[in-house]
Amino acid sequence: MENLEALIGYGWYILTGAWATVQLTVFSCIVALVVAMIAGIVLTSNSHLVRLVARFYVEFFRGTSVFVQLFAAYFVLPLVGIALSPIQAGVLALGLNGGAYGAEVVRAAINAVGRDQREATIALNLTRWQALWWVILPQAVVLMLPSFGNLAIEIMKGTAVASLITVSELTFQAETVRSQTGDTAIPFLLIMVTYLAMASLMMAFVRWLEKLFGRGITSKST
Amino acid sequence: MGLHVAPNTAEQSPIIEFRNVEKSFGPIKVLDQLCFSVKPGEHLALIGPSGSGKTTILRMLMTLESVTAGDVIVNGVSLNHEYKSGKELPASEAHLRKMRSDFGMVFQHFNLFPHKTAIQNVTLAPVLTGLLSKAEAKERGLKLLKKVGLADKAGEYPSRLSGGQKQRVAIARALALQPKILLLDEITSALDPELVEEVLNVITDLRNETDMTMLLVTHEMGFAKDFADRVLFFERGKIVEEGPPGEIFQAPHHERTKSFLRKVIAAGHRV
Repeated sequence: MENLEALIGYGWYILTGAWATVQLTVFSCIVALVVAMIAGIVLTSNSHLVRLVARFYVEFFRGTSVFVQLFAAYFVLPLVGIALSPIQAGVLALGLNGGAYGAEVVRAAINAVGRDQREATIALNLTRWQALWWVILPQAVVLMLPSFGNLAIEIMKGTAVASLITVSELTFQAETVRSQTGDTAIPFLLIMVTYLAMASLMMAFVRWLEKLFGRGITSKST
Repeated sequence: MGLHVAPNTAEQSPIIEFRNVEKSFGPIKVLDQLCFSVKPGEHLALIGPSGSGKTTILRMLMTLESVTAGDVIVNGVSLNHEYKSGKELPASEAHLRKMRSDFGMVFQHFNLFPHKTAIQNVTLAPVLTGLLSKAEAKERGLKLLKKVGLADKAGEYPSRLSGGQKQRVAIARALALQPKILLLDEITSALDPELVEEVLNVITDLRNETDMTMLLVTHEMGFAKDFADRVLFFERGKIVEEGPPGEIFQAPHHERTKSFLRKVIAAGHRV
């Protein structure tokens, strides 16, 4: 009973952090998606030089810790005149980190679309960009979506690190409650359930997207 | 089979010329000093054992393969090279796109776009290449699907079509760009035997009703005989024998042609 009262007492306070988590997740996913698409497409380019640039980005952000990237965005960028709010720094670090992993997903999915499809676009006299936009990417997206779903959840879970730069997101709020009340179980149980609910919603959204983009590709043959 | 009238091509210059064309994949020579020409409106059947280079010829014409040596001339213009300030340069993408506009190709495995419906498969290229407006492309697409007997399947995705229906959509798609030259690469090889006829009937109608130049690679010897004005028999990247179908199929001169046709007949194919 005491636990229930405690839950009601500071539960709402913790859940106010959910809004920051949602903001961080949504904006980081948007940044990651855009960057992953651009870098992933560039990784399939014929030009060695542009491939090299994209490869450097991917390896740099995959090969360094997201903690370090977050701290760099928040504490180092101001030294060169770019001052970001905690949320902006979180979005930048999480987005670029997720984008590096996503770029590999995009590259692999584009390469997985059959050679027969590329040859058909040549036979129909489409330009490379027309072929990519109208034929290759719509099929590659279906292949990307399951991995993108995983990546989006990873980004959502990764938003917890933004608490280290004072973003008042779920983990930050739970930690505040814990330090002020000494109650550990309820705050962390509450944020676990909240993360799980968010992840479930995201997976449902990805499954809907898979259905939407998979028309004709994933339907059964007669 | 309808009445075949060989086009009056005596005075016409070739629409396609292969001039000493060589093609190698690593150490394997697929085409060897190949020379032949095709006249406008001619219907050519390319036959021969697997690996003799027949498909490579069609793929070269569609610019899916480049030549290792020699040149392919289409309408008097080199397919593989272009000339700027008197210098011979490898063909640019713009040159290749210009040259491709004369061709349509139907593939062995259809190569339809699975995320597009039948009508979208047919209308995509004419709209994107600027040949037709969306409305015009749809009107022409529906006509073409009707012509190949698939008017009622316009809204279906390829995964809902049989192999024969897919191939007929692929033929309609190739025709949507109004090619002067149609390349048909083993278009019935991937089909169940009972679906072959529906595809061949479409090609027969096209042959008899249009003045398109058509190059057919096939293992259907009976169809090649009915379809072609001229038959080329290939082996190891060279033409072993060529002539009118009556001569090639009924009275071949070369021993290799005879043995190939004997094996084909033994395998149960009609000649």
